This record gives sequence, C-alpha cells and structure tokens, in this order.
Amino acid sequence: MTEIRPDWLKIITISASLILTAFILSLLLLVVSHPSPEAILSSLMSEEIQFAIFLSLATSVVSTLLCILIAVPAAYALARYNFFGKNFVNMMLDMPLALPPLVAGVGLLLLFGTTPFGKALADIGLVFVFTPLGIIAAQFFVNLPFMLRIMRSTFESISPRYEYVAKTLGCNDFQAVWRVTFPMAANGFLAGSVITWSKGIGEFGAALLVAGAIRMQTETLPISLFLNMSCGKLELAISAATILIVISVVSLYIFERYGGAARF
Amino acid sequence: MLHIENVSKDLGEFKLDKINLDIKNGEYLVIIGPTGAGKTILLETVAGVYPPDSGKVFLNEKEITYEPPKCRNITMVYQDYMLFPHLNVEQNIGFGLKNRKETKEKIEKKVREVAELFNISHLLHRYPDTLSGGEQQRVAISRAIILEPSVLLLDEPLSALDGQTRNRLRKELKRLHSMFKTTIIHITHNFEEVFSLADRVAVMNEGRIIQVGEPDEVFRRPNSEFIANFVGVENLFRGMCINDGNRSYIDVNGIQIVSSLCPIGEEVYASVRPEEILISREPLNASARNSFKGAIENIVDNGTVVRMSVNVGIPFVVVLTRQGFSEMDLYEGDLVCITFKASSVHVF
Repeated sequence: MTEIRPDWLKIITISASLILTAFILSLLLLVVSHPSPEAILSSLMSEEIQFAIFLSLATSVVSTLLCILIAVPAAYALARYNFFGKNFVNMMLDMPLALPPLVAGVGLLLLFGTTPFGKALADIGLVFVFTPLGIIAAQFFVNLPFMLRIMRSTFESISPRYEYVAKTLGCNDFQAVWRVTFPMAANGFLAGSVITWSKGIGEFGAALLVAGAIRMQTETLPISLFLNMSCGKLELAISAATILIVISVVSLYIFERYGGAARF
Repeated sequence: MLHIENVSKDLGEFKLDKINLDIKNGEYLVIIGPTGAGKTILLETVAGVYPPDSGKVFLNEKEITYEPPKCRNITMVYQDYMLFPHLNVEQNIGFGLKNRKETKEKIEKKVREVAELFNISHLLHRYPDTLSGGEQQRVAISRAIILEPSVLLLDEPLSALDGQTRNRLRKELKRLHSMFKTTIIHITHNFEEVFSLADRVAVMNEGRIIQVGEPDEVFRRPNSEFIANFVGVENLFRGMCINDGNRSYIDVNGIQIVSSLCPIGEEVYASVRPEEILISREPLNASARNSFKGAIENIVDNGTVVRMSVNVGIPFVVVLTRQGFSEMDLYEGDLVCITFKASSVHVF
C-alpha cells in the first residue's frame, strides 16, 4: 500500500497566500463596513467630499492625459530602437517608482518655487505651488513610470514585422504605427491608462508637498481622507476611503482583464 | 529587373556581406541557406525596411536604395503571416489599396477577385485569429499580390504549415506565378520548394551568396563543399516523365528510370538515395524495376562506408558498407550492375 505523504511545501505556500488574501480582504471590509451606510451616503453628499471627488477626477484625468502624451512615444522608442544611453534613460524613467513620493514632492516644490523656470511659469499664470496645478504635476511625475512600463512591454510584445508589412503596403513610418501598432496596443493602452489614472487619484505624498492640504482648495480624496482623519471626522474620512477602494478594485479588474501582454 | 549591387548590412546578429544578385522580371528565385545566413535581412533590405550600410539596389534601372518601402511597389509575406489582428480578412487584403486611396467600390471589387483566386471568399468577414494556418497564409499572400507588386518577397511562406497544406499552397504559388508572371524571391529550407518552384536558386551562408543557378546545376554541381553538404542530394536527375502504355518512366538522356509516381508529360526532378542502390557483378533477378550496367569511375573510402561513382550513361553514386565492399573485391574500371526499386525513385 502506498503511504499518502502530505505535501508540506504545497500546504505551507498555499496557506501563506490564503492568509495574505484574508488579511487584505479584511482590511478592505473593515474600512467600508465601519460607518453605517446612511452616514457614508450623507458624507458622500457633503460639499467637501463632492469637491474632493471633482478635484480628484479633474486632476487625475489631466495628469493621465499628460502621462499618455509623453510615455507612449517614449515607450515606443525604448521598445523599438537602440540608441546611446538607452539603459540610462530606462533607469531614469523608472526612477520615480523607486523614489519616495515625498522626495519627488520636495524636488517639484524646489523646481516650481525657487528656480527661474518655476518663476517664469508663475509669471505666465501657471502657479504650481499650493494649487491644483501642483497636484497635476505631482501625479504626472510619480505615475509616469506606470504608463511607460506598461506601454513599453506592450510595444515589445508586438513584432516590428507588422510595421514592415504595413510599410510595404504603402504606409509611411507614422502611418504604420498609427494604423497597425497602436490598434494592436489598444489593450495595453487601456490597461496602462486605467492604472495610471487610478494611481493618480490615490497620489498623496508628492501632492501634499507641492500643493499642500488646503481644505476646499487642494483637497483631493486622499488629502480629504488625511485632513478629516486628523481632525476626527471619521465618516467623511471613511467615505473618501471607500471611494478610493472602489476605484482601485475596478481599475485592477480592468487591468487584469485587458492587460494582455502588458506588465509593470 | 531587380539588381542588387554590393549590398552590405550589419544588424549584429545577422548580416549581409557584399551581396550581388540580379533577378529578371517574371523570374522565380528561391533562396536557400541555413538559419542565420541573412536571408530575411536580404528580403527586408530589398523591401526597404532599412537602408543598406553600403551598396545599391536598382529596380527596373531606377535606383531605389534609399526609397521608402511605400514607393517601391515591393510587397512581402512572412512565415508567420503578420496579418493585422484588428482587421478582418477583407480589410487586411484591402489594406494596401486603401493606402493608395482607391475608391471603396474598387477596393471591394478587387478584394473579391483576389479572394476568389485563393478560395478564401467565404472568409472575408472573419478575423485572422479564427483562421487556420493555411487560410492565414492565403490571406497574407492575397494582401501582398493585390497591389500587383513589381517584386513579391516570400520569407519561408510555407514553413509553418502542415505537410498537406504546404503541398497545396505550393501548387497555388506555382499557379499564381504562371498567372501573374510576378517576379518572386522566395526563401525556404525545403528542397521540394526549390525544385517545384524555382527558375533559379541562390544558396546563402554567413551573409553571402555562394552560388546562383538553375536548381539541377546547383544541386548537381555545387561549387563548394558547404553547398554539397548543405543540399546533400545525390543522384539527382532531371527528365521528362513518359508513359509508354505499360509503365511510366523518367527519360534522363536516354536512360529510362521507372517510377510509378511521376506525373506524365511533365518535366520533373528525381533522386535516388545512394544507400538504396544495390550493386552486383551480374544482373540481379529481382522485382526491382530499375537495373543498369556501367563502369565504376571512382572509389572513395570514407572509413565506415565506401562511395562509388558508377557511370551507366548518367553517373550514379552508390554506397557500400566497408565489409560488403571488401567481399565484392571491386576496382575502378570494373563493369557492374546497379539495381533499385521504382519506389526508391523520389520524384519532385
């Protein structure tokens, strides 16, 4: 008779993953179930949370668009071409990922607050320090690597031969990218945009330093969470957290569903 | 005429080293060579995907070395089809015409004609990932041929397909070429494709073209050891397939090689593997249909086997084991009989 030997490796590793899952799930449930649904609903209707929702949406959409505008061409170059200093460029463009957001915030604050460049921008009306523009700049800087990395891996997964064929069929270089590579990269683009946007909505550290935490002025959802938590308005804080959780869950789902070859 | 003059290109992993090649209008040129020989870069350079490091390319007397691909009217088909997955079959085939700003009606009409030709009319509304390999390659070839290119480049177009589909598509390529008289450059590893399709064959290795010529010339008179080893076909003959009423045979310079499989009335290539030929001093009384008498022209002792060339009007290479050879006590100049079965004759 064969002895049935328990597979300890399997049992231990699967247990670890299950415990972790339970831990994360319980945190999320704890947050959303803490106040009564009525309290959440009424805070959601409050002027302050409505402002935070609006400001978060507006800044994150603009910063995501900016990320797309810069990251898509840069990612294409990094996926397709070899050029001098490419490794360095790759490393630098990933840098904001490793950098603590607060440090990024200090850098941005110095750029906009103390340099002639920052002053010149302020002179033409683009004031970044303690304004929503600063939030956008912070989100853009911190989240650019997400869009970049996802688009880079997406472009890398598409054989350049598709473009070669398109060119022999009458496309110029730009048309080949526009009519063939971009449509083929659509899923990665969607996944990247959603993740970048969702990270933008949640951006706190860098935005706090550049734009400050000013109620009803630079109060995004995470800032609102922070402000209300620190002065004991738990319902408002948790309703902001709940919205952030919903956004995270939805964007994670979209990323997993449409991400395809795209990877961080 | 496509004229390639001293073209070099170094892509690191692959390279072209001073390639010179002329392809006549309407010619079907097949390029063979081992993996990494630079065959694909050669096609991509001709297509204009990237400019050569040095050298020139002319198409019908006009220099096109630095012309962008869209101005060349040279189209390309890859082994793995490269159909655009976001477009359906009709849009894929019509892609080039749309770039040329043809009217919608004209594109539609032309796509239908070409699809008809390749028997893929019923697939026009399908997307590439729902098609079989053979269907995808038909679409890819249609997409390339619809522009009536000056030169059609085929990069191992049949390599990804299963045996039966490959044979069928090979015949379609032949038909296509005889219908359109398109100039074709076709890369392959498969010798049958060389014999059934090529007007001329070029052998490439390490970025160079080593030999160009008609298939039987290259296969029978390889100009280097590399080609001899690479093509590795011995006892290769070319002749007309004839049926005289009770048997069919291939007439090679008056020598009749019996083969039941040969297509009557067609010029074919035939080969017999040296190991499948029996050698004897007296005619064998066996069921084998092919028996010829001739003199041993030379004997080469390779250690484990002994190779002999026997001239029976055409030269045959015969291989004997060392033991068999010493038992028979053969010398150059001896008259011997060689015998092989009709089924040992490989016709292509």
